[in-house]
Amino acid sequence: MPEQQKTIEIEVLRYNPETDQVPYAQVFAVPFTDDMSVLQGVQYIKDYLDGSLSFRWSCRMAICGSCGMMINGEPSLSCQTFLRDYYPERVRVEALAHFPIERDLVINMEGFIEKLESIQPYIIPKEARTLAQGEYLQTPAQLNAYEQFSSCINCLLCYAACPQFGLNKDFVGPAALTLLHRYNMDSRDGGQAERMQLVNAEEGVFNCTAVGYCSEVCPKHVDPANAVNLNKTNSAMDYFLRFLAPKGGTK
Amino acid sequence: MEIFKADVVIVGGGGAGLRAAIAVAESDPALRIALVSKVYPMRSHTVAAEGGAAGVKLPSDSLDYHFSDTVGGGDWLCEQDVVEYFVARCSAELTQLEHWGCPWSRTADGQVNVRAFGGMKIERTWFAADKTGFHMLHTLFQTSIKYPSIKRFDEHFCVDLVVEEGRAQGVVTIEIASGEFTLIEAGSVIIATGGAGRVFRENTNGGVVTGDGMALAYRHGVPLRDMEFVQYHPTCMPGTGLLFTEACRGEGGFLVNKDGYRYLQDYGLGPAEPTPRNKAMELGPRDRLSQAFWYEQQKGRTIEGPHGSVVYLDLRHLGEAKLRERLPQIYELAEQYLGVDPAKAPIPVRPAVHYTMGGILVDGLCSSPLPGLYAAGECSSVGIHGANRLGSNSLSELLVFGKVAGEEAARFAKSVAPGNTASLHKQAQAVEQRVLGLKTKTGGSERIATLRKEMAQTMEDGCGIYRLAETMQKTCDKLDELKARFRNVNVEDKSSVWNTEWLLAIELEYQLDVAQSMAHSALQRRESRGAHQRLDGFEQRDDANFLKHSQAHYVADGPPRIDYGPVKITKSPPGTRAYGAAGEKAERERKASHA
Amino acid sequence: MSKRRPYVRPMDGWWRKNPYFVEYMIHEGTALFVAAYAAVLLFGLLRLAQGEAAWNGWLLALKSPWSIGFHLLALAAIGYHAYTWFKIMPRTMPPLVVGGKRLPAWAITGGGLAAAGAASLLLFVLVWGLAR
Repeated sequence: MPEQQKTIEIEVLRYNPETDQVPYAQVFAVPFTDDMSVLQGVQYIKDYLDGSLSFRWSCRMAICGSCGMMINGEPSLSCQTFLRDYYPERVRVEALAHFPIERDLVINMEGFIEKLESIQPYIIPKEARTLAQGEYLQTPAQLNAYEQFSSCINCLLCYAACPQFGLNKDFVGPAALTLLHRYNMDSRDGGQAERMQLVNAEEGVFNCTAVGYCSEVCPKHVDPANAVNLNKTNSAMDYFLRFLAPKGGTK
Repeated sequence: MEIFKADVVIVGGGGAGLRAAIAVAESDPALRIALVSKVYPMRSHTVAAEGGAAGVKLPSDSLDYHFSDTVGGGDWLCEQDVVEYFVARCSAELTQLEHWGCPWSRTADGQVNVRAFGGMKIERTWFAADKTGFHMLHTLFQTSIKYPSIKRFDEHFCVDLVVEEGRAQGVVTIEIASGEFTLIEAGSVIIATGGAGRVFRENTNGGVVTGDGMALAYRHGVPLRDMEFVQYHPTCMPGTGLLFTEACRGEGGFLVNKDGYRYLQDYGLGPAEPTPRNKAMELGPRDRLSQAFWYEQQKGRTIEGPHGSVVYLDLRHLGEAKLRERLPQIYELAEQYLGVDPAKAPIPVRPAVHYTMGGILVDGLCSSPLPGLYAAGECSSVGIHGANRLGSNSLSELLVFGKVAGEEAARFAKSVAPGNTASLHKQAQAVEQRVLGLKTKTGGSERIATLRKEMAQTMEDGCGIYRLAETMQKTCDKLDELKARFRNVNVEDKSSVWNTEWLLAIELEYQLDVAQSMAHSALQRRESRGAHQRLDGFEQRDDANFLKHSQAHYVADGPPRIDYGPVKITKSPPGTRAYGAAGEKAERERKASHA
Repeated sequence: MSKRRPYVRPMDGWWRKNPYFVEYMIHEGTALFVAAYAAVLLFGLLRLAQGEAAWNGWLLALKSPWSIGFHLLALAAIGYHAYTWFKIMPRTMPPLVVGGKRLPAWAITGGGLAAAGAASLLLFVLVWGLAR
């Protein structure tokens, strides 16, 4: 038998658009063991206490990015946050902040997907290469220049941590700008000039006021604040280069 | 009901589905592609693959070696012509992914690096640290955005195929956010929905891995092939089943029992050497390693933990720096979920269900017996895995056969006339009524979770690492019972928006069908081969009677009908599967006899 | 017809909802003290231009208890601002690689704080020396 079972209270922010005008809190008593994640606690509620509770989840190992929630007010992946760390206090679970709630713990993330699509998140080759020519050579140092920024799992915790996104939904935001930076930094890519237009734009990097909380909550150590702030410098450079060489620079 | 007209509809937005979508788009930009996925594509379970993807890379390696490792690893139940096709295309596909931006790990001079995996003669696993599936999936997803002809139906749940005039002509989906139905008409349909590992209790799979596409094809008369072969991965987290990649052993990790003894040397995998030797010890194939665990457990040489017996995966001698570089995700999983620092302490592990070798019967061109229906990836049985899949072959499979499925489905779609919208629509409305009925009916008393748990437990009991007729029969009976009880299932939630309880009920019905095909195929295979091992008088491989593929046919309101199909042998007649020193000896003898 | 009705939560008082945001707002608020102190120095410059009497009056005003109180408060606020500024600094600059290894965040923050401390001390010693 697993270790002795204890019971923890989980307070969930519920919202069903078909019956509720506004979200409300509901408390469940959940038996748990020390190795149980908050996700497993929420799953227990769905399986045995209230089948109508809705939330996203899949891999259980912090790589698919589905199960982001506000846990005691902090954006967290519920699969790698453990109930033992809250017991015997009650733990509060809510849909990710700054996003519209579709239902219960499910947010509407269509806006993020549009942003991701807008940044041209694919290699725009610097030089063409056929398959017969084999791979592009890329040294470990060149890989290192962007690898960290390619580790984003799109869990959106950084958006839930970004008050500027909360205040202005048009802000491209940490994860999408980080992905943009990831492609710009890739030695195989030559698309920086095209992507800089979005960096410089009204919805671009200058919405960021360097709060830095996005990097704090990132479960994959991607450091989106770094990517965004480096692009403030890049954007300024881009601006002045255009002054110096109206036809040259980076367009 | 909304109607969307596509040329090719793809169900499943993981590695195979995305690769197929890109292949259709590249083969003819005028074709309209509908890509249906019940989750946003980057959530698909490809994301969780860790270790890497196989493709011949080193000058010392050869296509023949890759072929032999695959066919031998599959205990000769592979379609050898398909394997030949496969191994010849892996590296090109992996290079294609490199051109699309996949951050493969590199050697100092900038070439793609390769590592060793189990059952592999020469290192040929391309990897992106220990997040290969993650990087492949995101690369494919992001690249797919380039193609305007790919119309994604994200978070759309497929509930049925529409079959008219004897061919697949589209699918019916639910938009999860609204609960509304859409008919997607298409000239051809590709299923790429992944495996079905979650029919078992302890598994490495994500919640989405429920065999949806397998069940859909199966119900429309397409056989599921080789379903009894379910891979147990030897090194998983006790309790949750989360995966510690084979790359842990590829990088030099040890498996030890409670005495700190590298027990694999007792099971024909030795000799034990301090550094990894390919195809020996910890780098043996997954079926053998999981079986060795079972014997250690019988001998009382495992460690008892809160979630059952465990052995130790010891990575300490690799040192923190190497672990952080090569196995960063493993490091964090061990630290966060188990509170174990793998540089300082060994990680407790046990086998868990990982992969479904079998699947929708398709030929080497991914075409199923139902015209217009194609399948690729884990949901399919194209014939490369046989009775036991070699680690790293599945990620390459997604690419090679995702592309084939896309090209073939595109070709087929262009060859057929548009369907009769009125009658397709009528069919779709009947589907809608049936599926809505599951939610609107009242008076049910069975809890979804209870049925699901009982199914998962009985599958583990009957179709585990070692199998007995008696327990397999019990599992078959239990599944009959669960299917009967399912008719009385209770969906409390009657709402439309994000009604996940309703979807869980539909998934459970898929799972029960797939579980039945596994249990009955297993019961009727009276031999031991690869991942199917019996202890009741059928301990040996029996080529005379069972060098053939099982095919489970769906029977409404009854157990599946099992028949058998031939195995294609081109150049490798069935031989003895041997690893370690014995394997090297056998290979020398084989070479000598050929010479 | 779709029954979707996504609920948008209000942002009112967002900065009180998380200690991290509170710290951020204090950081932003303390920037006012930097501006205020710059104004004090500028005013001193103006007085200097207006002649010796004006300058002496300004010096005298600086010695008032109110002024000393303000200076102590400004010192604390600017100290806090400097600390939080250097804390965020690693997130705003390209990675610093020393001897093939990436410099950790704490080293950058610590280095920045040490440099600021050293510069302040140097200025203090210089001015002290000039004043004697």
